Amino acid sequence: MLADIFINPFIEMFAYPDFLMQVLWEGLVSGILYALIALGFVLIFRSSRIFNFAQGIMVVFAALTLVGLHAFGIPAWISVILTLGVMFGLAVTIERVVLRPLVGQPDIILFMATIGITLFLIGFGETIFGGENKVMITSELGIPTGDTVLEPFGGLLILQHLDITVVVVATLLVGGLIAFLNYTSMGRAIRALGDDHQAALSVGISLQTIWVLVWFIAGIIALVTGIAWGARAGVSFALEVIAYKALPVLMLGGLESITGAIVGGLMIGMLEKLFEIYWGQPLLGGNTETWFAFVLALVVLLFRPQGLFGEKIIERV
Amino acid sequence: MKHWTKIAAAAAATALIGSAAIAEGLFAPNLSYRTGPFAATGIPLMNGQKDYMAMLNARDGGIGGAPIDFAECETGYSTQKGVECYEKTKGEAIVTQPWSTGITLQVLPKTNVDNIPILAPGYGFSPMMDGKTFQWAFNTPSGYWDGADMIVQYLESQGDLSGKKIAFLHLDHPYGKEPIPIFEQLAAEKGFEFTPIPVGLKEMQNQSAQWLQIRRMRPDNVIMWGWGAMNAGAITEAVKTKYPMDQFIGVWWSGHDADLALVGDAGKGYKSISWSFPNLDAPVMADIKKHVVDAGLSDSNETEMNGVFYARGIIISAILSEGIAAAQAEYGTAEINAEQLRWGLENINMTEERIAELGLDGMVPPFSTSCANHTGHSGGWMLEWNGTGFDKVSDHMTPNVDGYRALAAEKAAEYATANAPWPTNDACDAES
Repeated sequence: MLADIFINPFIEMFAYPDFLMQVLWEGLVSGILYALIALGFVLIFRSSRIFNFAQGIMVVFAALTLVGLHAFGIPAWISVILTLGVMFGLAVTIERVVLRPLVGQPDIILFMATIGITLFLIGFGETIFGGENKVMITSELGIPTGDTVLEPFGGLLILQHLDITVVVVATLLVGGLIAFLNYTSMGRAIRALGDDHQAALSVGISLQTIWVLVWFIAGIIALVTGIAWGARAGVSFALEVIAYKALPVLMLGGLESITGAIVGGLMIGMLEKLFEIYWGQPLLGGNTETWFAFVLALVVLLFRPQGLFGEKIIERV
Repeated sequence: MKHWTKIAAAAAATALIGSAAIAEGLFAPNLSYRTGPFAATGIPLMNGQKDYMAMLNARDGGIGGAPIDFAECETGYSTQKGVECYEKTKGEAIVTQPWSTGITLQVLPKTNVDNIPILAPGYGFSPMMDGKTFQWAFNTPSGYWDGADMIVQYLESQGDLSGKKIAFLHLDHPYGKEPIPIFEQLAAEKGFEFTPIPVGLKEMQNQSAQWLQIRRMRPDNVIMWGWGAMNAGAITEAVKTKYPMDQFIGVWWSGHDADLALVGDAGKGYKSISWSFPNLDAPVMADIKKHVVDAGLSDSNETEMNGVFYARGIIISAILSEGIAAAQAEYGTAEINAEQLRWGLENINMTEERIAELGLDGMVPPFSTSCANHTGHSGGWMLEWNGTGFDKVSDHMTPNVDGYRALAAEKAAEYATANAPWPTNDACDAES
């Protein structure tokens, strides 16, 4: 038993390095996608202290809108632009109808409001698009679907072009987002709101504009995530559950930290895959991915309650 | 005050309309799921069921002159919501159709008290085949153990299974675990290595870990017990990891055209055992088109209607309608109650002639039920994906029920003991 925990997994890793590389690659792809979803949460939380429960359904809604528009005969990239328009409209509507009337209310009220948004989008989406699984317009968007087979150490490593694209696009998106937040006035305004609401408002930063902006950025992230996941196994309301995978990422990385979302996503993606393959399946019968990330996050919280990159809150009493 | 009077009047009128609708026909609610992560597989089945009943109502005025009130109660495949739907509908219902093994297991003890038959075609608790113990439950025309046995039979027909490795990719849910005892028994008998690989509900669309395990294990075959988004996730991962599709077989709930359409030609060779098959030339399809589709009463579409799951929905409603017709004939009344339907479901005799008479040619194998046999054990066909649709690639296969009759009796007895006092139907002893 001890050998199965402390020795055999490492022997297997060294004996089949190609397989280990495949495990790490799959973990990296999953991790990047978890990080993307987590980023959507973090952006909204930083600027408004709202934990956006609707992030998962926004992924589904964006992907279904894209596929639905294309089904009307609209060219793929025009559909992408129109979907972005829809997500912008959604951001404006949420800010006007849901958030603005609740300004100044306790955080829990705003959180409950996002649950309401989730339920509304589920019902609205199912009415408009139906619940059937739909094929993502992968090739129409020019996303490659083949694979590259490598033979490291005389073994086998399959790299899906779709996964490579996802990694590249997600990296560019994250890079772009960081640049936007650090080097543009709007980005700095978002960060200012995250640091100190009152001070930000006192220097003329518009809360309404920033809220629309962050919800729209969360919508863009939702669309990219929806395309990436939808290209793997179709677009349906089952995609919503993917968002729950971001929760331990947030616990691990910290709710306010963009770096935390990225590092946390990658850590969880790769570690849960390694644990499942080398320990979970041989010793526990598999399906450890369901709980591993939460246990890992809880262990981190024991030592750093604010998460790995979260801000330590010191309150004077 | 005026408003309250209006509200009261409206409520009274609604109650009257509601009760009149139920009193006029037979209330056969369906605990459907058109929403949530499993909607993609639920919708075509529910549409097939609903359209067949709508066709009977439009063409024949119902069954035996009694219109069918085929109301749906949405569960989203949630066991909790399913139980709520059962409680909500049981008052007037002559049958409950729980539509999930989890819901079936929850309502199974309740139906024994409420005296309402459960109709769970092709799903539910496999020992429900024992009609003496489960007198109110029917998993006609085939149970999961039948499916598992036929898949193993098929694999054995391709070559000796001794020493082979078989991976069992299944939803980590009561449904997915249901056939494990019979697979384990067959593995011991035939000498193959059987490895269950669970897929969690949150991992349905990201099965890379499960398929990495399959790559490491290099099984001779993968058997899938998937549902909802899990099917599409598994099929796309199989293609991605280059697993030979002709060594990949699913149960009947893992043979959905829309899931395979995601991969198209790359899915060629994938198989699924099935007790139903779409026959677009069958007379029932023309009747549905004429009385339901052309009348604008269908929620389906042409692509869906050509598929395996829509046809299965039709068969499921046909099984229920045959049970109703048998009860009406026995008791001499169109307005049968739940207890009388229980008798009817126990006396279905779906011969080739009857199948043809119903216009269901080639869509379901013949089967019959009895007091002791609540499954029917119809057997089925092995279907294979050809890139655009499923073909039958086997003759009519039948399960070796004698191989697990004792196990079913043992599990049924265990269930009865655990839920004591559990009344059994001793009248069935005459059959055995």
